[in-house]
Amino acid sequence: MPIDPSVVGRNYPPQPYEVSREKIREFAEAIGDRRRSYVDTQAARERGHPDVVAPPTFALIPVMRGFDMLMADLGIEFARIVHVDERITYSRAVTVGDRLQTTTRLDKVRQVAGNDLLTVRSEVRDEQGGDVCVSLATLLVRPEDEGGSGD
Amino acid sequence: MTERGTEPFAVGDVVADQTYWITREHLVRYAGASGDFNPIHWNDRVARAVGLPGVVAHGMLTMALAGRLLTDWAGDPASIIEYGVRFARPVVVPDDDAGVAVRVAATVSEARDDGNVALEITVRVGEQKVLTQARALVRPPVPDGARAE
Repeated sequence: MPIDPSVVGRNYPPQPYEVSREKIREFAEAIGDRRRSYVDTQAARERGHPDVVAPPTFALIPVMRGFDMLMADLGIEFARIVHVDERITYSRAVTVGDRLQTTTRLDKVRQVAGNDLLTVRSEVRDEQGGDVCVSLATLLVRPEDEGGSGD
Repeated sequence: MTERGTEPFAVGDVVADQTYWITREHLVRYAGASGDFNPIHWNDRVARAVGLPGVVAHGMLTMALAGRLLTDWAGDPASIIEYGVRFARPVVVPDDDAGVAVRVAATVSEARDDGNVALEITVRVGEQKVLTQARALVRPPVPDGARAE
């Protein structure tokens, strides 16, 4: 079922996300990255950071929470979504203790071969309103009646 | 953009090339760490029901591994100015101990006047590109500089 075009331009209020030391550690371990700046404050300071920093794609955790909110609002289930592309522009590294605020906006909807393609812009800022990063994503929504082959 | 012999990075230089292995265990860890619990990344039944050959890796995990190559080369996550990918093909992760090999390589596509370097990243499983249009803009490492990590 096509998405109602009137939802284009819809802005979702800023969602808070507090960056914890343990979440950065867990994320770095999950991607197998042993960089010391992700776990050791002193090592991070030697690289000029105020404290432990996160790997670049850590920023997608708050961004994807925004996707979840958007999809819930549009009544689209999880399994129908395919992430088509993702581009992030960074102003600075995500740092432990950051109280991030992520705003999510549905920029564009177009139909391609019976699927809806959504362009979603997410702006991640810190508590002082400083830019952290901007994510531009394309999400494909499969039609509801697609049964899939087999059982 | 003039080609000078003293330029540390030239267009076409392969600056990094690395193979990463993804197993089912990695998917479980990444699901927990990222909060992405989509069952296509851990449940074969659900993955097949949506037309996939089996459980597939989170696109973001593959993107994170290619990101690792970038930060390993540049020396710091803050050196990544822009990073984008297209998730062209799913990375099917077999239910065995070895998992699937993902080969990531980064090639200089532009050495900018401000010192930043644009990279074209190839991400392959076997001969197939799983990420396409994978590009990054990076502040490169200082040549002969201190490698603290």
